[in-house]
Amino acid sequence: MTVVTVEIVKRYPGFTLDVGWRAEKSVVGLFGPSGAGKTLTLQCLAGLVRPDAGRIVVDDRVFFDGASGVDLPPQRRRIGYVFQGYALFPHLTVAANVAFGLRGRPHGERRRRSAEVIERLGLGGLEARYPSELSGGQRQRVALGRALAIDPALLLLDEPLSALDAPLRRALRDELREVLAAWGTAAVVVTHDFTEAYRLADRIVVYEGGRVIQSAPRAELLWQPASAAVAGIMGLRNVLHGTVVKATPERIQLRWRGQTLEAVNSPTRSYLPPPDSPIAFFIRPEYVRLIRKDRGAPDPQHHMNLMAGRIVGEADFGTVWSLRLRLEAPGAPAQGDFDLEVEVPHLVYEILEIERDRRWQFSIHRGSIHVLPA
Amino acid sequence: MDLFPVWLSLRVALTATALTLLIGIPVALLLARRRFPGRNVLEAAVVLPLVLPPTVLGYYLLLVIGGRGPVGQALAAVGLELAFTWGAAVLAACVGSIALLIKSAQAGFETVDHQLEQAARTLGRSEWSVFWSVTLPLAWRSVLAGAVLAFCRALGEFGITLMVAGNIPGRTQTLPLAIYDRVQGAQLGEANALALIAVGVVVVLLFGLSRLARLRY
Repeated sequence: MTVVTVEIVKRYPGFTLDVGWRAEKSVVGLFGPSGAGKTLTLQCLAGLVRPDAGRIVVDDRVFFDGASGVDLPPQRRRIGYVFQGYALFPHLTVAANVAFGLRGRPHGERRRRSAEVIERLGLGGLEARYPSELSGGQRQRVALGRALAIDPALLLLDEPLSALDAPLRRALRDELREVLAAWGTAAVVVTHDFTEAYRLADRIVVYEGGRVIQSAPRAELLWQPASAAVAGIMGLRNVLHGTVVKATPERIQLRWRGQTLEAVNSPTRSYLPPPDSPIAFFIRPEYVRLIRKDRGAPDPQHHMNLMAGRIVGEADFGTVWSLRLRLEAPGAPAQGDFDLEVEVPHLVYEILEIERDRRWQFSIHRGSIHVLPA
Repeated sequence: MDLFPVWLSLRVALTATALTLLIGIPVALLLARRRFPGRNVLEAAVVLPLVLPPTVLGYYLLLVIGGRGPVGQALAAVGLELAFTWGAAVLAACVGSIALLIKSAQAGFETVDHQLEQAARTLGRSEWSVFWSVTLPLAWRSVLAGAVLAFCRALGEFGITLMVAGNIPGRTQTLPLAIYDRVQGAQLGEANALALIAVGVVVVLLFGLSRLARLRY
């Protein structure tokens, strides 16, 4: 199992990269908005940019150590770098691209290795083609093959799917996942797309403005973002702000828009803010439950966090409808002219005749209110 | 008809072009790839020979390589002489033409995606290997075009050559000087023949260049 330790500082006028993370899982995702320093981190890992200070260690090999002056050149790091846009050599064939990093090995071994890589990546028959004669998916595989041929200690992938259009993107995301799993090479994947990070990586490191704001296994990040900032970068909706009433290791009670809500406290990361302190939380729009009117009065035992509101806006996304709910409570709405975004399947929208009926009671399970530590 | 000026000019221009490639390519790479203090000064210095009057250039060169100049005296100390030899004509041709090669090669190197060179480095290739297997193969057309232009310019070099190599028939009288000489001496037949040869060489070269430019890599 490959262990990657990155602790680096790199200063530019107007931007400072100051990050530290460690990964023992096989695929790490660097996730964050563009300009956050993700690609710069890859360049430092590959030895293409020299950090001002810090340490980079892959397994027991020290690539960079500012204190002792160690700085291995890229040639000696044995890192496979799949560049954004792939950077295939346009003047060389597929076979020559794949074999490019094998120079210096005996001729027979070179032939055997590049033939093996071409075969395993399904590039057979394309050996004599030039990159300009390949499809987007084939280019990605050639770039992967070129990087994997040198049997790298670590594979770096910079926005590997950004050069592709949407339908191909999905297909190649899964293909890439399979290749990474099949080759078992430790990898660092840079992406600004959360779904992509979640699909490809075991551990996700969240970047913002040159810093790491969370590093966690992907499931933990999905369900327990460390802060409102992380939730914002993940594109989570209904990130709200309330006040703590009472916090225990199991539950957190909070006030929001005149309502008292009950949320589950994280079992792994019990968060105990004092009463009356501000607290951020988020509610996934698809977890807000509208209460049917044909089933009698709602039962407070069954329907937690019961509230009532009016639909003040809606948008049709084809298979789902997004509704904007405004609470029947005094005070300004939490998100402009509405309080909560709610998502319902198209079918539900029709059955409940939401188009006609605008006033609804709804409930949110306590497990669906996710507290964001300050 | 005495064809010595033709052979001399071809020899001078070929030698000068070889020297120009040797010196010009590293300079072009430096200008295309690195940011360093004094870069603007170097860039201006490269273009200077194109815009200065050739006689002024020749005069300054003569001050340096002449019998009393620093280089001239250093050469004399080991028993060599440069001024008014065919070597001086090579130097003159180099100075007059190197800017064409450097500017063309620099433009070529600048169009090579930096990331391709980075990729080659991560794949274990040394700087030397990166140049020969990535940078040059992708920029060779610009380098060749620059070399052909430099060769043509070297072939036609007049002013600087006259100042530093003189116009010694059978020793330093190059093709352009010979044409000037024949016209002065009213030997228009020979002047026409030499001029046609000059035009022929240049036209053939430029035609060949335009054919090569159609190749892929």
